[in-house]
Amino acid sequence: MKKLVIIPAFNEQASIQKTVQDIKDNAPDFDYIVINDCSTDDTLKVCEENGINVLKLPVNLGIGGAVQSGYLYAYRNGYDVAVQFDGDGQHSAKYLGEMAKTLTDNEADMVIGSRFITNEGFQSSFMRRVGIKHFNVLIKMLTGATVTDPTSGMRMVNRDIIKLFSLDYPKDYPEPESVVQIISMGKKVVDVPVIMNERTEGVSSISPGKSIYYMIKVTIAMIIARIRK
Amino acid sequence: MTIRLQIVIGIMLAIAVVSIINMIRKKKFDLRYGLSWLCMLVVALVLDIFPGIVFGLAHLIGIDLPSNMVFFVGLIFAILLIFTTAVSVSRMSDRMKKLTQELALVQKELDELKKHQEDK
Repeated sequence: MKKLVIIPAFNEQASIQKTVQDIKDNAPDFDYIVINDCSTDDTLKVCEENGINVLKLPVNLGIGGAVQSGYLYAYRNGYDVAVQFDGDGQHSAKYLGEMAKTLTDNEADMVIGSRFITNEGFQSSFMRRVGIKHFNVLIKMLTGATVTDPTSGMRMVNRDIIKLFSLDYPKDYPEPESVVQIISMGKKVVDVPVIMNERTEGVSSISPGKSIYYMIKVTIAMIIARIRK
Repeated sequence: MTIRLQIVIGIMLAIAVVSIINMIRKKKFDLRYGLSWLCMLVVALVLDIFPGIVFGLAHLIGIDLPSNMVFFVGLIFAILLIFTTAVSVSRMSDRMKKLTQELALVQKELDELKKHQEDK
């Protein structure tokens, strides 16, 4: 079974090497690809000097377009499983094996690494948790499913969803929306507990000023994803 | 409306029409996108030359002040143009995203091919 780790990276020069090393050490049966989303720092240089497998986007697409490039790469290269994995050191590769096992054992279509099952490790700020709770409730209302960590960027999917995402993936703030998208299609989403770290480098793509816009945009996107056919 | 105002507006519209046609001629503006602007200007020009049409139409749909009808129709025109532009920007960004992704994937294959050749 071919498994791929998709690592979207925008200005992650300080942490990208560590992230890749973590995968090589702790998830050796996974291939990986870094998607350099036209970083303005030395991310690409660091990748090329260290022989890191990298896909170079010629213009900046934002998180959705970058991740989708990874799914496209996974689909074209015949991968059976693909997992999104942040390039900033928040995620730990040691959970990937267990996530893959959950995916096959439960015949799930998506496995989400969730911070909020055991509530251990970095729990995000209070305001963020309020936002996440809102998405939680909204997903429950829209689909009836319980997804404990809908904004988690650590998500593993099977070949069906790889194909789906390679054709159709939200452009910005894609996580909660795409969860609703696939649950609405009758796909099975499971979550497993993981511990995440506070980011060591880089900044979040959601700044405080943008958070209101983020909440409104994602809420509407989720509702539309539910009524889309 | 005084003749003087009619002439001033007419000249402004004529300049706009000529410069848009000139831009299309020089391929700085695609006719496909310029057409709606040209149509709008021509309609405005016709109304400028025959203001009686505006008075008649305003009376017909129950607007007391003919100038209000000009503003109303102008606003609707402008909103339509802006909206179609927004739709085309959205389509454009979709296409650009696809092209970018394909380009990156082709680039990757090319790099690997080159590396493979060098290794031989």
